[in-house]
Amino acid sequence: MEVVIASSPVDAGIGCWDLHSGAEQLRYRSCTSTPHGLACVGQRFLASSQLRDSSSSSGSILYWSWSKPQVEVKSFPAEPIHPLVSNSDGMYIIGGGSSGAIYFWEVASGRLLKRWHAHYRAVTCLFLSDDESLLVSGAEDGCIRVWSLFMVFDDIGMEMAKNPYEYSFSEHTLRVTDMVSGYGGCNAIIVSASEDRTCKVWSLSRGKLLRSIDFPSIIEAVALDPGEHVFYAGARDGKIYIASINAETTSSNSYGKHIIGTLSDNSKGVTCLAFSKDGILLVSGSEDGTIRVWDAKTHNIVRIYRLAKGPVNNVLVVRRPLYSNRQTSENSHSSFSRRHAPLLPPPLGKYVNSTDENVDSGAVSVPQTPSSDIMDAPYLSYHVLTKQISELQVFFIFLS
Amino acid sequence: MAVFEHFQNLYDIRLKPRLLRSLIRDRVPDEKHPFSKPSELSIVVSAVKNHGLLSESSREAVDPKHMENWKSSIDAWIERLLLLVSSKMPDKCWAGICLLGLTCQECSSDRFLASYSVWFQKLLAQIQPPSDSHFVKVASCASLADLFTRLSGFSNIKKDVTSHAGKLIQPVLKLLTDDSSGAVWEGAVDLLCSIINFFPSSVHRHYESVEAAIVSKIMSGKCDSNISKFVHCLALLPRSKGDEDSWSLMLQKILISINVDLNDAFQGLEEAETKSNEVIKHLVPPGKEPPPPLGGNKMQGETSNQATEMSEQLILHRISMLMLCCCRMLTNPYPAQVIVPVRPLLVLVGRVLMVDGSLSQSLLPFLTVMQREFICSELPLLHLCGLDLLTGIIKRVRSQLLPHAADVVRLLTEYFRRCALPALRVKVYSILRILLISMGVGMAQYLAQEVVSNALVDLDSIAHGCGEASSTPCSKAASEGLLLPSYRKRKHGTITGFSEEQQGGVGTEMEAVKGKPITPIAVQTAALQALEALLTVGGALRSECWRQNVDLLLITVATNASNGGWANEEKDIFLLSDEPTSTRTDFQLAALRALLASLLSPARVRPPYLSQGLELFRRGKQETGTKVAEFCAHALLALEVLMHPRALPLVNFPSGDHPDFGQGFNCKFPKNIFSSGLKNNSPFPRGILGKDEIEPESNDDELYSSWLGNDEETEASASIPDKHLESRQELSEKDGRLSTEDHQAEKHPSDLPAGAQFPKEGDRGATDAAHMETGGIKDSIMAQSERVQEIIPNNDVRLQDKDVMVPTGDLTANVVEPNKGKIESSGSDSSKATPALSSEINNKVLMAAADANALPSDQGSLLTTSIVIEKGKKLVLEYNSDASKDSFPDIVDGEPDSD
Repeated sequence: MEVVIASSPVDAGIGCWDLHSGAEQLRYRSCTSTPHGLACVGQRFLASSQLRDSSSSSGSILYWSWSKPQVEVKSFPAEPIHPLVSNSDGMYIIGGGSSGAIYFWEVASGRLLKRWHAHYRAVTCLFLSDDESLLVSGAEDGCIRVWSLFMVFDDIGMEMAKNPYEYSFSEHTLRVTDMVSGYGGCNAIIVSASEDRTCKVWSLSRGKLLRSIDFPSIIEAVALDPGEHVFYAGARDGKIYIASINAETTSSNSYGKHIIGTLSDNSKGVTCLAFSKDGILLVSGSEDGTIRVWDAKTHNIVRIYRLAKGPVNNVLVVRRPLYSNRQTSENSHSSFSRRHAPLLPPPLGKYVNSTDENVDSGAVSVPQTPSSDIMDAPYLSYHVLTKQISELQVFFIFLS
Repeated sequence: MAVFEHFQNLYDIRLKPRLLRSLIRDRVPDEKHPFSKPSELSIVVSAVKNHGLLSESSREAVDPKHMENWKSSIDAWIERLLLLVSSKMPDKCWAGICLLGLTCQECSSDRFLASYSVWFQKLLAQIQPPSDSHFVKVASCASLADLFTRLSGFSNIKKDVTSHAGKLIQPVLKLLTDDSSGAVWEGAVDLLCSIINFFPSSVHRHYESVEAAIVSKIMSGKCDSNISKFVHCLALLPRSKGDEDSWSLMLQKILISINVDLNDAFQGLEEAETKSNEVIKHLVPPGKEPPPPLGGNKMQGETSNQATEMSEQLILHRISMLMLCCCRMLTNPYPAQVIVPVRPLLVLVGRVLMVDGSLSQSLLPFLTVMQREFICSELPLLHLCGLDLLTGIIKRVRSQLLPHAADVVRLLTEYFRRCALPALRVKVYSILRILLISMGVGMAQYLAQEVVSNALVDLDSIAHGCGEASSTPCSKAASEGLLLPSYRKRKHGTITGFSEEQQGGVGTEMEAVKGKPITPIAVQTAALQALEALLTVGGALRSECWRQNVDLLLITVATNASNGGWANEEKDIFLLSDEPTSTRTDFQLAALRALLASLLSPARVRPPYLSQGLELFRRGKQETGTKVAEFCAHALLALEVLMHPRALPLVNFPSGDHPDFGQGFNCKFPKNIFSSGLKNNSPFPRGILGKDEIEPESNDDELYSSWLGNDEETEASASIPDKHLESRQELSEKDGRLSTEDHQAEKHPSDLPAGAQFPKEGDRGATDAAHMETGGIKDSIMAQSERVQEIIPNNDVRLQDKDVMVPTGDLTANVVEPNKGKIESSGSDSSKATPALSSEINNKVLMAAADANALPSDQGSLLTTSIVIEKGKKLVLEYNSDASKDSFPDIVDGEPDSD
């Protein structure tokens, strides 16, 4: 089931709606998420980094399982974590700290595998490349860096390398607000948005700026058309601008160069964007606490969900395993879902534990159901029979 | 009697009981007559299987009377089988058991459920004393295994079956320990595996004794031919408990056991103490009790006694079997979440791979020359197992290899540098391939240099055979023909004995003959596959230093590989036994695949060997019915996108309901682009144009009008005819000369830029003349010249931008007029808009190019559309033949309009 999940910096919980039917699912309680601080870990559970009052020095990351509204696991990293991402199989969670450090946790054990100093200012957004071997981070000072995860884990290689990162882009002058990457592995493009009112298109393979587009307003969120023909930029003025990625436009309409249209319904600022898996429905979260689903083909609003009175700051479109659905539809906690809902992993560690070497030797392997399909079970007796018949024939020939 | 009435055809169910009865009467042995021809049984089996004689089911409804008849014939069949099973004569008993196994597999569910427990008892009796025939025991094990396989499909009787299966374990273990026949062991192990697979909990109680029995078989080294089945069974065994601990414990025990054996085997060849301690340290955390030895405590005494007299051969054999077992444990699915001890596994693999037979310097030579010779001869097999284990680790831990990836890469690259034996190199290449594909570009950066330099060496012979091979393809084919059979023979040997040394010998033989080393075809294939993987994941990022060499290498190899003609697959099959080895077909396929990757992998300029590659694929495609042809067709499809790249807008061409402005707008983006820097001529075949011109109005008119009809909703609701007129005027004005060329442009855009300032014009004179008769349009354009004036500034602005964006063929629809802040749409009735625009564009392109000094004068023949991507630097033109079909009819159509 494809669901929209959304969270807010004010405590409105995490809303969850079926994208196609529009039905609201379970609402997960007590979440005050940071921007880009909501992640679905391997489709198994939700994780969100929390805004903390300035007095507290540690951060906070919470887990919710799909089937329960309460927070199930609380972790307290050494500093406040802003953006949070997970790799596609949910083995790792990566967080960006307010000091500019990036934290790399193994989910199953909760161990902090790596922490490295990535930026001079707080990390604002993170994403993993297509093949999940590169990590791209954006910071408050406008810097964008591309990291090879192999390099990060290769202490020897790190010492020999000139820079710990693959690329460092400093063309943005103010905070990077959002980044998104396209298809194509190492030949992908990256689109970044910043408070300097520009969106920039980068080539990952060349490490170069391809295009910079000025917008009339600050862009808070970007989403990439799956065909990579245009990108959608959600602005503080409430419009979602459509800008062309590589095709040259002679357009210089009222919005500016390369901007070829808008999606707008005169609402408050757009804070986050996400595409559905079909590449047609575009989900936007707004300052006014609503989530709009647009049809990118017709530019019409298909649906509106209401999350909170305060702003929405994260929307994701994720696939949710079906079993958890049963629990929400039935009021009773059926034994079925309890049995099948996987247990959540332990909390995330605070420090890199380098002393205990024995601990860092394991890799958790997810359970796999052995195929007990009768269809591919081989029957033996026929082969034994034919083999023995040929042996017997030899035997009889020998006798006669 | 009605029972024996006619049957209609072979599908008639009345036939089935007849057939079955005749089988029982004529072919199935009975008590009275001697059973002389066991081959009769295979006729029975195939008749039963082919006709579904025991299935008791029919697709259509049948007369219950016939069904009853069928049923009674099966009753008779089973009655006979049970009689046979109880027979005193072993051969008849054997026949009954075999056919009962077949019945388990074939009979209807109802019958099976009703009788399985009787059958089980019958079969069970046959594997216990006093039964003593090996044949009977083996057949009983197989039939029992099939009984349980079938039972696994019925989940409702699981409990009952589990208890049945539990009764079986003791007798089966007894077969393993008491019996002396390898065939019986094999049958017993197969049965055990089936039970562990389908009814794991029945083995639970006997876990330790099963482990002990299997381990003792593996350790004794007595069962050579089917040892891998025991290994498989041991690897499956933890599934009978199904929890994390039993899996981990088993793996831990095996690793410790391997480690102990390695200490013995590698004495004097490595610093055993330190290596061994390292593994143990990771396996058994300090302060914890080491686990009991593999196979239980009883085993310990036994093995340590044996150890003294155990031959080196046995030790090495055991090590490789246990490594195989680890590998199986890693690759078989396991129902519980387990923690894979990656670190100790990697250390162990490293330990094995790092021993190359050279004496450890700090140690005194413990070994006799004979011992060393023996170890060296067995090492390749051990290395192969180590590499297999490494593959297993990588497959199991997937993304979690990340923290260890650098270690793995270092281990592999170091090993690769020294590894000289073909089979091992093939394995290393395959691991590199897995790593590249699974871990992406980050891994590619690490491995690129290693893969490329090794592949260059391995493919050197074929790459440099270039000149000579192309002139004398026969000699090359002959030399490979010479090489192949011997290589295959050895390869065959690898499974059991593995004598890699001799393979090296083949190389040197050839070297002696030809004067240069020849790499076996399997290694070359593997090298090509690794290069393909490298190009697939990492062709774009930081590849400058190796890309050029690799591209050249791959086109050379592919050309040379195909020069001797495409391999005959049938011949390959004929030559091969059932051994999967690398053949010439595989090699050619690998070469073509790698070539495709080299052409498709992102590059900044056109792949230098594009046309040679295309030619190769075209030729290969003609080899009807071969894998090569299949792949070549795929390659041509993939390359088409390279030629006509698409950045497709999110628009389903609307079926007319409501394409709003945005859609129409998106449509204007070009569909096809190629870089004019590479190709400055749009290869627009004039023939097509001409044809299109005379084609009647296309069906798409409705589509166009629906766009136009909906334009009112949009913000750019400008009147379309005006707009397109504007653009035409714009064009005319721009040229300043407005006469024939402009006009020509409408008719023949390809000739369009033949403006006076271009030298090309002369060449086009004839065409120009040919189209003079369309002068009427020109007049109409001129007539509106006052509008032209206001357009000119637009053009100037655009030129400053040096950005040109034009609709192409079927996208004819819309164009943005930037200075006006609105959009012009040119639809079906804006007939001349397309050519007019194109000419306008051409002009702009030319101007832009003039600024940038980048445009060849030939640019004139650019057609329909063009885009500038990087400002003023690189012109990107587009061309779409489909598009042209749509647009050009409109031109013709439109002329009357404009008048």
